[in-house]
Amino acid sequence: MNWYEFLLRNRGEVFERTLEHIGLVGASMAISLLIGLPLGVALVSRARLQRWVIGAANVVQTIPSLALFGFLIPVPWIGGVGASTAIVALSLYSLLPILRNTCTGIAEVDPAVIESARGMGMTPWQVLWQVQLPLAAPVVLAGIRVATAICIGITTIAAAIGAGGLGVFIFRGLAMVNNQVILAGAIPAAFLAIAADSGLGYFQRSSARR
Amino acid sequence: MTPHRMTMIRRGAGVPPAIFPTPQTAKTPAGRRRHENLAFRVAAPNHREKCRLRSLLPCIFALLVLLVTSGCGKRGGERIIVGSKNFTEQIVLAELFAQQIEAHSALRVERRLNLGGTIICHDALVSGKIDLYPEYTGTALTAILNDPPQKDPSEVLRRVQEEYRARFNVEVMPPLGFNNTFAMVVRGDDAEKLHLRTISDVAPYAAKWRAGFGYEFMERPDGYRGWMAAYGLHFSGAPRILDLGLLYRALADNQVDLVAGNSTDGVIASLHMVALEDDRHYFPPYEAVPLVRRATLEKHPEVREAIGALAKKVSEDEMRLMNYAVDGEHRDPAEVVRAFRGAKGL
Repeated sequence: MNWYEFLLRNRGEVFERTLEHIGLVGASMAISLLIGLPLGVALVSRARLQRWVIGAANVVQTIPSLALFGFLIPVPWIGGVGASTAIVALSLYSLLPILRNTCTGIAEVDPAVIESARGMGMTPWQVLWQVQLPLAAPVVLAGIRVATAICIGITTIAAAIGAGGLGVFIFRGLAMVNNQVILAGAIPAAFLAIAADSGLGYFQRSSARR
Repeated sequence: MTPHRMTMIRRGAGVPPAIFPTPQTAKTPAGRRRHENLAFRVAAPNHREKCRLRSLLPCIFALLVLLVTSGCGKRGGERIIVGSKNFTEQIVLAELFAQQIEAHSALRVERRLNLGGTIICHDALVSGKIDLYPEYTGTALTAILNDPPQKDPSEVLRRVQEEYRARFNVEVMPPLGFNNTFAMVVRGDDAEKLHLRTISDVAPYAAKWRAGFGYEFMERPDGYRGWMAAYGLHFSGAPRILDLGLLYRALADNQVDLVAGNSTDGVIASLHMVALEDDRHYFPPYEAVPLVRRATLEKHPEVREAIGALAKKVSEDEMRLMNYAVDGEHRDPAEVVRAFRGAKGL
């Protein structure tokens, strides 16, 4: 049996798992955007703090995902087994590219442009919203793009902690020594990543054109 | 150097292509029983073809030299070659066989450990590349003899003994004393407080308990569905399905109350958990047995004596502790086995 035959025969479950996968990615991306974007903006002018925070995010990135899931099981409130733990871990992983690109993007806006905006009488808030953020958008979006790709990939491992998603097929296939089942999870996950990446790439390009 | 040996070692040394960094659970030829310990498999770097070939050449050369020299060495003196599959328990058992033969005879023992799976060990044994290796009765029955799984341990042992003798000229020695099969595991304090000894003892509490199972247990024909039916247990909610390594953590942390593990997993001992007795004999027996070539036994009767002395000497608890000493405490298998043999007066 080929992997696509397996996929067709189990399309109900594949569809359900894909939705779960998208849900996990969506929730964790939303959380890391909510934390990462404001934090990135706040850190732009605080070089010292920025080094520490990005360093910490970097360290998180180096923890193997299965180990991070393991660490999170005994943590009260956010830990345990199931989707919530997975979302916490996935948000942590997505944080670094968002944070770093937000900082870099804003820091690289031409100081002359900011100066002239100030000279026109803009408040700092207006400078941020009307000048810095729009000019930094392509770089910030590039970070979000990387974060999404990472997130979709790591979400497959969330099945190890009972969170569902396409990783269920991968783990099941590994347990059954059945490559077809593994591919039925891995290939839709790869397609998800490609689709999300090209969608965000479109946004990025159109934001760069403006 | 026979072509057979080439394939044997190549297959043993080959790393399967990784699709994702995943825990290394049961990436095994069909029927191989055990899961390996948790380790990250990293996807091979994507070099250009030419580059890869060039970097492989020294390895291939080294392999050839190794093959030629090991071939020469074997013809030189009286040697017994002990083999094992590629996971901790097998390595510990092979080391036990090796030390036992070294202690009870003048023979020299060569260790050829970490062979890549049941089929490879079996081929090596039958073709005389190795003289003995540890196997499990259930694995021999299903993976080698292609029989359906059976529940009765003595029946399985008898059948495997007969068939191996007739078909492969291999002697299945008496079992070592432990059974490496699925095990229902609970926290030690629960077991003590509620006086749990067997799986049936769980029945009154099951409705309030959450169960956690691994992916392999959910899928295997001798796994979840049949087990629920055999014991008529109903847990609170659907079982949590987790990675095997994380299951024990979840159990230790009260996230679940009962998990399906493997009866000789070292963590059962180290985290003070209790494996419940399978009182309805649902799980097929996977008793550890030494498989020895009959030709070797005829030529060296002292090997029979040395290995025979191990019958019923290794309990599940002892095997767990040795697995834990190697996996959890990173101790040298040879040293762990020496300590065990000393304690048992072997």
